[in-house]
Order: sequence, then C-alpha cells, then structure tokens
Amino acid sequence: MAQLPISYSASITLNVNGTDHQIEVDHRWTLLRVLRDVLGLTGAKRGCDRGECGACTVLVDGDPVCSCSMLALQVGGRQVRTVEGLGDANSLNVLQEAFLAEDGGQCGFCTPGFIMSATALLESNTDPTEDEIKAALVGNICRCNAYGRIIESVKAAAKSEAS
Amino acid sequence: MTTFKTIGKSEPRRDLPEKLTGEAKYTADVQLPGMLFGKILRSPHPHARILSINVDAARNLPGVRAVVTPFDAPKGQVAPDMPILDTEARYVGDEVAAVAADDEDLAEAALSLIEVKYEQLPFVTDAVEAIKPDAPQTRPGGNLVGGKPLTLIRGSVEEGFAQADRIFEETYSTPAQAGAALEPRAAVASWDGDNLTVWKSTRGVHADQLALSLALDVPRGNIRVMGQNMGAGYGTKDETRLGAITAVLAQRAGRPVKIELTRQEEFVAGRHRHGTTTTVRMGVKNDGTVTAVHATTIMDTGAYLSSGPGVIRRAGQGALYLYRCANVQYDGYLTYTNTPSGGSYRALGAPQGHFALESLADTISEALGIDPLEFRLKNHVGLEGQPGERVTPANEVLDTQPVEGGVPFSSNGLRECLQRGSEAIDWGQPSERPESGNLRRGKGMGMFIYRGGAGGRSIARMRLESDGSLRLLTGLMDVGEGSLTVMPQIAAEELGVGYGQVLVTFGDSETTPEAPLTAGSTATFSTGTATKEAARQLKARIIEVVAPLLDTEPSNLQITDDGVEHIQYPERSVSFAQIAESVGEIEVEAAISPGSRDHVINSFGAHFAEVEVDTDTGQVRVLRYIAAHDSGRILNPKLAINQVEGGVSQMLGFTLSEQMLTDPRNGVTLNASFLEHKSPTVQDFPEMQVLFADVVDPVGPFGAKALGEPPSIGVAPAVANAIYNAIGVRIRDLPLTPDRVLNEIEAQRGDSQ
Amino acid sequence: MKPFKFEQATTAVQASQTHADAAPNARFISGGTDILGEIKESVLEVNILVSLAGLSGASEIISSDLGLEIGALVTLARIASDQSIVETYPALAQAAESVATPQIRNVGTLGGNLCQRPRCWYYRSPLFDCLKKGGETCFASDEGNKYHAILGAENCHIVHPSDVAVALLALDATVVVSNASGDRQMPIGDFFVSPDVNMLAENVLEPGEFVSKVKIPKPSSGTRSVYLKAKERQAYDFALSSVAVSLEVRDETITQAHVVLGGVAPVPYSVPQVDSELTGQKIREVDVQAIGQLAVKDAQPLSDNSYKVRLTASMVARAVSRLISE
Repeated sequence: MAQLPISYSASITLNVNGTDHQIEVDHRWTLLRVLRDVLGLTGAKRGCDRGECGACTVLVDGDPVCSCSMLALQVGGRQVRTVEGLGDANSLNVLQEAFLAEDGGQCGFCTPGFIMSATALLESNTDPTEDEIKAALVGNICRCNAYGRIIESVKAAAKSEAS
Repeated sequence: MTTFKTIGKSEPRRDLPEKLTGEAKYTADVQLPGMLFGKILRSPHPHARILSINVDAARNLPGVRAVVTPFDAPKGQVAPDMPILDTEARYVGDEVAAVAADDEDLAEAALSLIEVKYEQLPFVTDAVEAIKPDAPQTRPGGNLVGGKPLTLIRGSVEEGFAQADRIFEETYSTPAQAGAALEPRAAVASWDGDNLTVWKSTRGVHADQLALSLALDVPRGNIRVMGQNMGAGYGTKDETRLGAITAVLAQRAGRPVKIELTRQEEFVAGRHRHGTTTTVRMGVKNDGTVTAVHATTIMDTGAYLSSGPGVIRRAGQGALYLYRCANVQYDGYLTYTNTPSGGSYRALGAPQGHFALESLADTISEALGIDPLEFRLKNHVGLEGQPGERVTPANEVLDTQPVEGGVPFSSNGLRECLQRGSEAIDWGQPSERPESGNLRRGKGMGMFIYRGGAGGRSIARMRLESDGSLRLLTGLMDVGEGSLTVMPQIAAEELGVGYGQVLVTFGDSETTPEAPLTAGSTATFSTGTATKEAARQLKARIIEVVAPLLDTEPSNLQITDDGVEHIQYPERSVSFAQIAESVGEIEVEAAISPGSRDHVINSFGAHFAEVEVDTDTGQVRVLRYIAAHDSGRILNPKLAINQVEGGVSQMLGFTLSEQMLTDPRNGVTLNASFLEHKSPTVQDFPEMQVLFADVVDPVGPFGAKALGEPPSIGVAPAVANAIYNAIGVRIRDLPLTPDRVLNEIEAQRGDSQ
Repeated sequence: MKPFKFEQATTAVQASQTHADAAPNARFISGGTDILGEIKESVLEVNILVSLAGLSGASEIISSDLGLEIGALVTLARIASDQSIVETYPALAQAAESVATPQIRNVGTLGGNLCQRPRCWYYRSPLFDCLKKGGETCFASDEGNKYHAILGAENCHIVHPSDVAVALLALDATVVVSNASGDRQMPIGDFFVSPDVNMLAENVLEPGEFVSKVKIPKPSSGTRSVYLKAKERQAYDFALSSVAVSLEVRDETITQAHVVLGGVAPVPYSVPQVDSELTGQKIREVDVQAIGQLAVKDAQPLSDNSYKVRLTASMVARAVSRLISE
C-alpha cells in the first residue's frame, strides 16, 4: 500500500484585512493557497504560481508581494491586505471608480493584482508621474494588454484623490 | 445625422465593478461541497506509444478517488483527431492519464506513482522538415494535412507574372506564439445522476455542450455548461479534452472534480498561434501596378489539427485580397509535427500572412522608387472588391474570405485609414535624428484586411420580466472584449430605453439561447444582430399589448426609459412594472443567420509605427504607434480603443519578444513561463493613438463591423518596416530580438560597429 | 510540491546547526522567491527549509566612514532606494533596481539574490538531466544556447543570474558567511565558483553556512560607478548581458578601474586586463570602443550567442563612456 508523503503542519495567526485568523497550515502552502483555499478570498489569482505575472499580488505590511511566492509561514504575524479589503462592487473606492471610468481592464483576471499594486503606489506617492506608474505596475502582466487604459486609470485616480 | 441614446457612447464595462473588487468568479474560483482536485499526467516524450500504465500505487494512496487512463477511458472523441485519452502521445505534454484526489498535493503525489511504459517513436519538430518525403511520420496518413496543400486561385498567376516588368520574392517566418491568457484553463465537473454540469474557461457554452455530449456519449440535454468569467483566451482555450477528463473523473469518483492547469501546462497544452514560413512572390509594373501575387505558407499545426484548416486559409487572405489584382494564388501547407498544438489565436493566420506580404510590399516600393504609402494607395482593394466575375450564385450568401472577383464590400474604409494614419504619424517627415550616435529612428507601415463579417447563427431572447425589468439572454460569452456591455447597448438603443435598464444573462447552456463562439470578431455582428432583432420584436410586442390598455393605436405609442407613453399625450403612460403586472411576462426570441448575398463584409486598417533601434545593443523601442481602423460604426469608443490598444500591444510581443521554443532533440518546450516567453509589460507599452474611419456599414448592427482581431494584423509589418527604415536592415524572421537585430546588422551591412 | 519542513531559526547557531544536520537536503530560505520556484519545478528536493528571517542584525544597512555593511536579509527594494547607496554606490542601487519586479524586490533579499540558482532552461526543466543537476550532458553545448555563457565556461554553460553580484564585485565587496562556529569573510570574487570547480553549486558555502552580510569599502571621492543591463523587453528580464564599472578618477586620470560583466559567464566576470588598460589613462583619451573589444577578447561564443560578444563590447564601451563623461 502506498504511503502518504509525510507533511508538516503548523498553526499560525494570519492578519488579513485587519482580522486575525488562526489557521492550521501545511508548511509548504503558499500565502496564495491559504488566501484562496482556506479563507475563500479568491480575488488574488493563480496566474503562474512563480511570481512572474502579479495576478496574486497582495500587500504585506504595505508592500506589494506575489502571494504565490511566499509561504504562509513567512507571513505569520504580519499585516496582509487583499483586494477584498478595499470595497465591494456597490461601493467602489476612488481607485476602483477610476478604473471603471477609464476602462482599466478587459478580461479582469489581472485586475485585482493591478489594483493592489496601484493601491501601494498611491499610498506612498499621491502624485506619480507616468514613469513612476509604469515602474510600480511592471510586475503585473495583463495579457489583454490593456496597459494604456490602466495607466490612464491610475492617473485619474491620483487626480481625483488630489482634488 | 442619427442621434443615439447609448450607441456610440462609452458606457462603463458591465462586468468591471466586480472584477475590480475580486468578487468576480472565474472557473478556478468555483468551490463545491466535497470537490476533489484533479491532475493530469503528461507525456515526457514527443512521440510514443503507451504500452501499459500501472496505476495501482496511485489508486491505493489514501485520498485518491479516481483514475483514468487511455485503456479505461470512454471511447469518445474530443476532436476528430483526438480521443478523450489516447494510447499514443504526440508531443511532450500530451495528456496520458489523470487522477482526482482529496487535495492538490495528494493528486500531485499520486501522479508520481503512476508507472507508464512507453515505446518511443520517431518524431519531428519542424514543419518545413516534416513535409519532406523522408521525414518521420507523426500519423499514418502522413504529416501534410489532407495530403495536399490548400490552393486558392483567382485568374492565373502565370499570366500575371507574364505581365510584370519586375518580379520580387521573399521568404518570411514567424514562430509559434503562446496566447498565454492570464487565467490558466480550468474545469469543474459535477454529476447529479445522469446529469452533468460543467464550469469551464470557455468562449462558447453551447459548443462545449455539444462537444462534451459527443465525447462522453451523454445526451446534449443532460449536459449543462456554465461559463464563468473568462480570464481571456484570444481563441487559445478552444478544446474539449480538459472538460471531458474532468467529467470522467467526477463520474468515477462520484464527487465534483476541479482541474486547474498550471502555467506550464497552459503554455504547452493550450493552443497557440501557428508558426509559419511564408514565401510571397509579387509581379509589378514599373509604375507600381501589381500584376500577380502568389503566396505559399507552410504552417505548423503541431500535434493536433484543432482549428488549423481555418487558420491556414486565413493566412492567405492578405495575399488573395488586399491588393487589387486579377491574378493571385495561395498555397497553404498545413503540417503536423510533434510539438504543442496550434489553434485559434486572434486573427488566425492573418498576422503571419500579412507580415510577409506587407514586408515584401516595402521591398518592392523601395526597388521601384515609390513611397510605401503611395504604393499602397495605388494598389489597395477598393469598395468594389477585386476584378473578375462573381462565382457565387446570385442567390447565395457570399463567403467572408472571398477569392472571387466581382463582389463588392459592404463598406471599405481602407483608404481613409491610410490617409488619416499617415497624417497622424507625419509620414512625409523623416524621423528625428536622436542625440546618441548609436540610435536610429525610422517609420514603417502595414495595411490589412480581415474577414470579420457575419459569424454563425445566433439566438437572442429578450424579456419583460414580471417585475418590469428588461432582460437580454444570450449564450454568448464575454471573454474580455466587452460584449456584455455592447449587447445591452444594442438592445437598449433598439428598445429606446437607457443602457442601464437592460439586464443581461450570458453564457449558460441551460438558461440562455444558443449563440456562436465569441470568435472571429463576429460577436457584435451575429449576436448583436440577433439582439437588435429581439429588441425590435419585444418593443413591438410591448406596444401592441399596451395599446388596448391605453385605449389607442400602437402607432401612437413610444417606449421611454420608464415604460410606454402616448406620443401626443405623454401623461397617458404606463410603466414597465405595470405592463408586466397586467399582461405578465413577455418574452421574444430572434434567431438570425447573418450574412449577405450582395456584399462581402470585411474590416480594414492601416498601422504606422515609429521605432528607435539601438545599433549597439540591438534593442528596439517603439516610440509612437498609430492604429487606424475601419470597423464600421464604433458602438462603444472607450472599449474599442482599449481593444485596439491591447491588440497592438499584444502583438508587439509577437513582433519583438515572444516565441515558443521546442528543443529539436527531445521535443521539450524550453520556455513555458512568463519569464521566458517574453510578453510585453506596461513599460513596453508605447505612445499610441487609435483612429477610427468614419464608416457606417450598411449591413452590420447600427453600422458596426468586426473589431476584436484586426488590431493584431498590422503590427509586425509596421514595426519591421520601421526597423528597416531606421537601419536599412531587413529581418525576415520574428521575433525581432536583440540577437537577430545585431546578427543581421553584421550580416547585411558588414558593419563591425 | 513535495512536503518539507519549514523551520524558523532564531539564532545563527541554531540556523547553521539545523541546516548542517539535515544536509544535503536542507536549504536556507530568506525571501524564498527563487527557492520556492525550484521546489515547485521539482528541480530541487528539500526536506527542510531553514528560515533566516528571524535572525537579528541581518536586516540592517550600516553606513560609516569605512564603508557600508548590508545585512543579508535586506530586501532588494531597500537597496535600490536607500539614499546612501543611491548616492555613494550607484551601481549597486541600479543593479538592485534592475531585478525582476517590485513584488519580487519587496521580498527578495541580498543574500538570496547572491545565492540564487541558474536560470538555464535545461537546469530548470526536470526533463533535462543536465550536468548542473548531476547528469552527464550540458544541453547548451551545441544548440539552444542563446542565453548561455560566452566567457569562462568549459563544460557547463550557465550564466550567473545575479545583477547585484556584478555590481558588488565592481565595488570590491566582501562577503561575510556565518555558521555555528562563527564568521569567515572573503572578497566576493572568491565567493562564487565556476562549474569547473564545483558543478553542483555556484558558491563556496559549506553545509551550515549562509551569507550573513556584505561589506563594501567606502569609495574615494573621485569614484563613480554604474550598472547597465541589456534585456529583451523593457523590464522584468534577466540580463542578456550586463556590466558594472567602477572608476576612480583624479585629475582627469583614471587611477583605479574595475569592470565586471554579468549574464555572460558562470560567475560575475572580472576582466583584469581591461582594468589595467584603463588605469592610468586620461579620461579624454580613453578609446571606449577598444576597451569594449578588449573586454570580450577571450569570448568563446556558442552556436546561438555570438551576438553577446558584440553586445557586451557595446555595453562596456557605453558604461565606461558614461562614467568618464560624468
């Protein structure tokens, strides 16, 4: 009879969008896996699972990271923010409103990742130049290549936050 | 001029709010109680017979609930040349077996316990090699699909070349390009007795329902396919095997199963743009008049046929129809190899064919001393179509990719695209000379034609619901192009209500009527026409039932945002809710088979690029890009601009950096990752301007024509021609990567600097 | 992913002992962005990951008159934006900024970047049993070698993937490695080893040893440095070829030079003959094209990568040219 591979588990406290979750995790589980499969937060997407596309971007202690390329155990005790923490479809925040108005997306699979990278940018730089916007979003691949509209969306968000 | 309520307005994308908040569910987000996780074992060999598979160890692993192999899989076909699972593997990555287990880790562990005995067979990974007589055979019927090329002829090229003062011939190649939609394909299957429900990444739930029915031998009515939000596909997700395997596992396990492909799997087992080698031969008079065009394309369909026959045909469309010419021929050789399978990918062969054609056009222009823009203005096909006699009988619908002459287009804004696009890029003005001595700038252009047109039969249903709301139901899928937004615009306009008042239900084979694939840039045309007709009928029905309620003739009534009112006495009105209350729900359905007996419906455009080439490093930067399109009336400008910009940027990847590489020694795909298959990032996105020709098509819904794919056709030639203009070096093989630029500079100029 | 145990070390001694005890199937992890990829690809089998993230003092950047000490856990994002590094060690900040994406730089650490494994597509695919994985063949020798080495490679043709290492070598950095019994340090050039020395590793770390910090001597006031990187797209790409140059200029004369090449050799590649050629030259008299050619004099390109010779010569010429016109 074949044997189950031995796996290791641990209990961690994960703070997601301001709420502490006590979770039992397999040591090899990534933060993305825990967010999606354990907490049901499916806004972060598994686009590549290698940190190469940015669809899984969340903020850890305020910085955008690829949640697919960090183990949940590396994040225990830190503050995680996901797209679910920003608002819902009936109460979009300023950034999301700007994406809607400027058509900053197509198929939408990359969109939560872009929103999180842009959130981090605008929290640290309220008036970014186009080059700064591009530099901040370069880790997010949009295969529909809606980049033009995405750049305009972030610009519009900065503008409307400033006013 | 007609004024519209919503047509032509940039209504916000209907599905975007929930995509911005993460609420939108994609197939991989579907969670069902008791759901298992499936994984697929893939062939490590490019061509092998599977002699046996021992799954005992995998099956005995606690938590493994189902296994399927070619030896015990149902015998149905998921495609004419592809069973659900096969005892022959035809490329590295081909599906060999699958398991379902309690979780992903277990499923993966189970795969590693499956023992497969392979007998390796001879293989070939290059299409040009594959059609040579002594090439290893990938199939009993030979490598060349159909045993002969697809040959399409108008007039006689022999005559055309005889009339020519000069004849030019060049050969160009394009690599396989992965669509690499950001969402890897996923499928979820769940059985309830004899009834199967499948959630999958798809652009056609009814097509999937039919394909699964045939594959699994389950009556179509017992299968429900639910399209979720689709993380795009560009055509590359059209296949049935994944859904069929998932369904078989779910049936065996007696529990729902989800299979979510990894990125690596999506690269190799997804469909991609076919690699091609195209030779174009053109005859011209000294004054630039084109007398003959003969194109030959060898196209690598990979291990399976998929949509190859359609793609090989479209690779010839430019050669057959873009230039006004009585004598043309196209020979397309579609070839099997032991590489990942090609398939539908945005514009299906047209970009490959146009790259060769429009590059050669520049060579000819230069040789004749004619400006490339003038050469196109002189020779492009006009509204009247090609010279010659109509072949299609007068009462039959015309093909959308015509070969014959004598058939006019419904509209043709190509000349306007050439003129306005060239003005926008200051065509007559040479590029500025950059400060650094190693940088060279240049401008280039390419024009194109694309079969857009009618698309397949589509049914749209419209309803006044019992609560007074208006709803459009269609089986269509929005795969990111925006039909979920444009269809209610069409419906609202026809009804005479505001855009926001029309609710939509899409993409469910059980509750929505049959629509064709969101494919071939035809959704607006086919389902849009059906939607318009359904809205017209609903409007008529509503007015008809309201007339007695308001004690008047239908001709005195009009629809408003709120309901129906008397035209002369607006105080005599009734709300939609009241109508529904009094007469109950009203539902109409319109089925249309679009197409024209009088006109060919095609889209056109011209692209212009300005590039900067670093002759020290070989790096190419696109400085400015003008995309001028005739897609008829633009129904939603913001979405249309997004679509064009996205198509251009996507194909800048094809032109400058993307290619799938197969190791010829063992058939392994070397670069199945976003890191190595180098798609454009936001920093690669150039300054871009999108122009739309002022064309209202007389046939299309509200004057619209195809838009989704055309943006991808003109990119490679415009950029390649701009590079030539900048450095005097012509690179005939895509992508135009730094190594190629440097190598060609050295080879063609003998310049050691 | 096969199961493994993740062990959070709290002291260097504990980290080292845990690793040494479980060798060879133990790995250190700091940011993890590279090592998790290897585990997911089944290129690397590990039983235990020893996390260094809890070690005190490893996350600091200390700037003094002697120079700079950067803890191994400092992220690439911090290195790229740290004011003292941007001003005094520009090549290092530029190299860190050129790595991957913001998301990766926010997690990836200095130590992890130095210890990342090769990106060679044969090495990274479980379907190629290549030399670097203990196999018999280098699949890049005859074909499919566009991204491979043109310098300093005998049997295995990987290129070292680190951008930061190239800059650090040009800046004469020292690597401090720790184990349970203490520290040892070495010039960064001695830290990296080519496959001819050790096929299975890219550096000299022994079981139980990890990089704890990097020290960079304070450059003299006349020193300037730059890092340039050639890529196939504007961002998010490993180097086709890169170059870090540090020049000390006094009275319009180059008094010290260090030119280092990246993306072209199995290790960050110093070219001493270029350094000595530059040293003593008046900056207005430097023939940068000749310097570029000299840098690739020993190049032995493979079937698909001769472009790298020309490219690298150009990159060197451009970097030197930029510094002497500063």
